[in-house]
Amino acid sequence: MKKAFILEWLKVRHYRVFWILLGLYLLSLIILTSGGAVFLEFLKYKGLDYKGIDPTWLPIYDFPDIWHNNTFLGHYTKIFLAFIVVISVTNDWSFNTMRQNIIDGISKKEFVMSKVILIASLGALSTVFIFVTSLLIGFAYSHTFEISAIFSNMEFLFLYFVDIFKYCTFALFVTIIMRRPGFVIVFLIFYSLIIEPLWIALPLKEWNYINEYTAWIESLLPSSYFSFRTGLIQIPFQRYFLQEVQEGIVWKPLLIAIGWSAIFIYLTARRLIKKDVR
Amino acid sequence: MNKTLEINNLTKHYGRVKAVEKLNLVVNPGEIFGILGPNGSGKTTTLGMILDVIAPTSGSYAWFDGENSVTSRQKIGSILETPCFYSYMTAVQNLRVAAHIKECTFDRIDEVLKRVNLYERRHDPFKTFSLGMKQRLSIAAALLANPPVLILDEPTNGLDPQGIAEVRSLIKEIADEGKTIVIASHLLDEVQKVCTHFCVMRRGVKLHDGSVSDILGETNYVTISGKDKERIKHVVESFDGFRGLTNENNGLLVELKDGFTSYELNSYCHAQGVTLGKLDPKTKSLEEEFLKILSEK
Repeated sequence: MKKAFILEWLKVRHYRVFWILLGLYLLSLIILTSGGAVFLEFLKYKGLDYKGIDPTWLPIYDFPDIWHNNTFLGHYTKIFLAFIVVISVTNDWSFNTMRQNIIDGISKKEFVMSKVILIASLGALSTVFIFVTSLLIGFAYSHTFEISAIFSNMEFLFLYFVDIFKYCTFALFVTIIMRRPGFVIVFLIFYSLIIEPLWIALPLKEWNYINEYTAWIESLLPSSYFSFRTGLIQIPFQRYFLQEVQEGIVWKPLLIAIGWSAIFIYLTARRLIKKDVR
Repeated sequence: MNKTLEINNLTKHYGRVKAVEKLNLVVNPGEIFGILGPNGSGKTTTLGMILDVIAPTSGSYAWFDGENSVTSRQKIGSILETPCFYSYMTAVQNLRVAAHIKECTFDRIDEVLKRVNLYERRHDPFKTFSLGMKQRLSIAAALLANPPVLILDEPTNGLDPQGIAEVRSLIKEIADEGKTIVIASHLLDEVQKVCTHFCVMRRGVKLHDGSVSDILGETNYVTISGKDKERIKHVVESFDGFRGLTNENNGLLVELKDGFTSYELNSYCHAQGVTLGKLDPKTKSLEEEFLKILSEK
């Protein structure tokens, strides 16, 4: 474990592209999670109000709702983390260093492990980052500061981590199959942002969202970019229209996510072990 | 430790192509073992299999009498055809990755860089290196863990004459330290110059293996010359071991009967009062033997 972690660290430490991508990712995370106040101001400026309520009154940054709101928004940036994983793997391919690493003395299994650890580390970094930024935003905008309120709903951070982990293992698997960074990145964008919503939308009749069949498909999709009501972190904003929202961990999507991660890691390892490294 | 490497019936098929077919080999400690063969004879595939990057179709191999293959690879320095490093990292940073994988300390990095003459360039990115420098960096990486075994795959491929000479002298120095070396090459004189043992492969099949000194040695031909060519000719023809003679522009090429040596020819001439200015017994070259082996089977 430690060896694999240090190996990845030595590889990315002096890699400028990695730090630029990571910086852009964290920046987009800040903008997305803290931009809500600006957005509501914008709505107010446009003259939009809901039954006489000023949109800026919406307590989106109140503890503990902020944990749900921000992790929901934040998980949309995970594709940039996936790009980092893709580039890290394809680099080892294009420089032929995966082969060199194995020849120098790690097993193919350890190589896959090192990439899984990279994913887990990036996920952990992102989770810590969103925890800190949300805490700061919360202190700036929240109407309540009770300790019990601040630190409840923390399970959303865990779900956030699992969601990133699942998506990045998906990216890892696609990379092992497709091999070219350009293809993989285009595929990930295309699949996550176009194929998956189509998959969900096509069987809909009269745009009736509550449809058992689509809900079933939706819950099984690996990117869950559009799994608003069946994903790990479900859409939180209808609470401001006094509708029900997700409360804490929902077991079915969690198990599905863990299942996907395990399947992707297993298939990646199996493919590498069976195939010659050239 | 009895055997450094033992290969049993190692086979690799790519569809219908038989890249390596039932290969058996033993490499003992201290040997410099050359794997000879034309391009496409299965040399690189064999090395790929014993280094665990190519999955064998069947058969097996064992390093160091059956040690775990991952830890044994950490004790093997490998230099493959193309140097593989991270282009964005400097020489030192690349060697740190290798040292980390091989589980050795970073202490020797400066030492090996000095040894391959790259110390001055140690903080330059790999992508700025010439092919010769890249090749030398892979030698540095291979030496990092001070391994008892080195594997070289066409180590001088694509280098200019100076680079070839540098790499060869390094290999010799390393061999003098008593390390076991396995070299795959299609360059016969490379193998002849550095190897103690060798095998010949063609289309994935081993045709021959043995020691280099067994197959090399003196032939029955001796080139001689001296001041009075006619007199020498006359004397030589009366020698017991004489079989034939041809004129060459730099002297006479004498063929001796089996069992006679250049030494006896020389002392006979001397006894007859003829002093030879040049006595050059022709030795066999691996090239001739190699072509003979290839044509025999």
